[in-house]
Amino acid sequence: MPKINVDEAKSGMITSRPVSNENNIIILKENTELTDSIIDRLKKMGIEYIFVKAEKRFSKSREDTLNEVEKRFSRVVNNPIMDKLKRIVKEHIEELYDRNR
Amino acid sequence: MTGIDKQKLRFKVENTHNLPTIPATLKNILTFLENPSISINKISDFISKDPVLTMKVLKMINSPVYGFPGRISSVNQAVLLLGLNVIKGMLLGVSVFELMQKAMVGLWEHSLGCAALSSLMAKKKGLKSSEDITIAGLLHDIGKVLLAVNIPEVYERLIDVTEKHGLTILEEEKTVLGTNHGEVGSWIAKKWNFPKHLVEIIQYHHEPYKASNARVECAVVHLSDILVRARGFGFAGDNSIPEVNKETWDILGFTDEDIKELLLAMEDSLEDYEDLGA
Repeated sequence: MPKINVDEAKSGMITSRPVSNENNIIILKENTELTDSIIDRLKKMGIEYIFVKAEKRFSKSREDTLNEVEKRFSRVVNNPIMDKLKRIVKEHIEELYDRNR
Repeated sequence: MTGIDKQKLRFKVENTHNLPTIPATLKNILTFLENPSISINKISDFISKDPVLTMKVLKMINSPVYGFPGRISSVNQAVLLLGLNVIKGMLLGVSVFELMQKAMVGLWEHSLGCAALSSLMAKKKGLKSSEDITIAGLLHDIGKVLLAVNIPEVYERLIDVTEKHGLTILEEEKTVLGTNHGEVGSWIAKKWNFPKHLVEIIQYHHEPYKASNARVECAVVHLSDILVRARGFGFAGDNSIPEVNKETWDILGFTDEDIKELLLAMEDSLEDYEDLGA
């Protein structure tokens, strides 16, 4: 996961780039593990986006992961191949989560 | 947005090695790759002289992405086994992708995912040149890196617009640049004397029906690219996925079960992908 909206940030994620404020002053170093209070502060400072490292698999909930798939496919409609792929990818994700339970 | 002349852009891209922002080691590699008379010995010597590069290349070759884990311990052996073009591609991959991490976080993971899935698909289809296809999977988005380093402001803005309007990068590239990252990648692949089929896969990974030399290979990378994005592995610069070409789908003829099996195998082979960091 690269650039994310601060609203999507969750504690436990790790920054992959330093975060700077509008005056280009670094307010959070690279490789910092986010906590709820850090995320709160970022929001209060009006930071919109941050860069985080590739997320560990399963760090997101099953629902979020499936919703993201839905979103990625939202621009392809009425296409039987894409509908099929969407279904397969979703089933694949369900299976991964089932195994990991 | 106007003012981007395609010929000028091509000239810039073909002279990427002259950019002041390119690290010296990469400059050496790019200049080396440009030489039309590279031989197996020369490339072997070139890589072996540099311990960091040697390590990166061996790590990549022995990774599950490539499919022969733990067997290749020297650059000489690797070059003999995989051939000049695959090693050239790999040299390019492991070096250019450092820039990629800066240009677009997540593109390296996307590229690795695509390499792994392309390799699995090629094997499943029993294609002879699965090593070449793996390299094509790794390098298919090299045009994005070249654009990001050559016209950083324009490309960043382009990506922002893409994100804001939920478009694909491909659509916005056509509007703003009159070309796309596939074509841009092919310019440099040609300049570096990559074989025709590799050039074609890079050029047409979004338009596989245009490929004349490597239609099936192009189909493999086209489908891998879209599936890796659909799965959400890495980040290719946009959050919308383009459609799979119908003809491509029919050429490959995978069943639902095939696709599931391929996706699972990809997950397994990428379990430790962070180790392969560019």
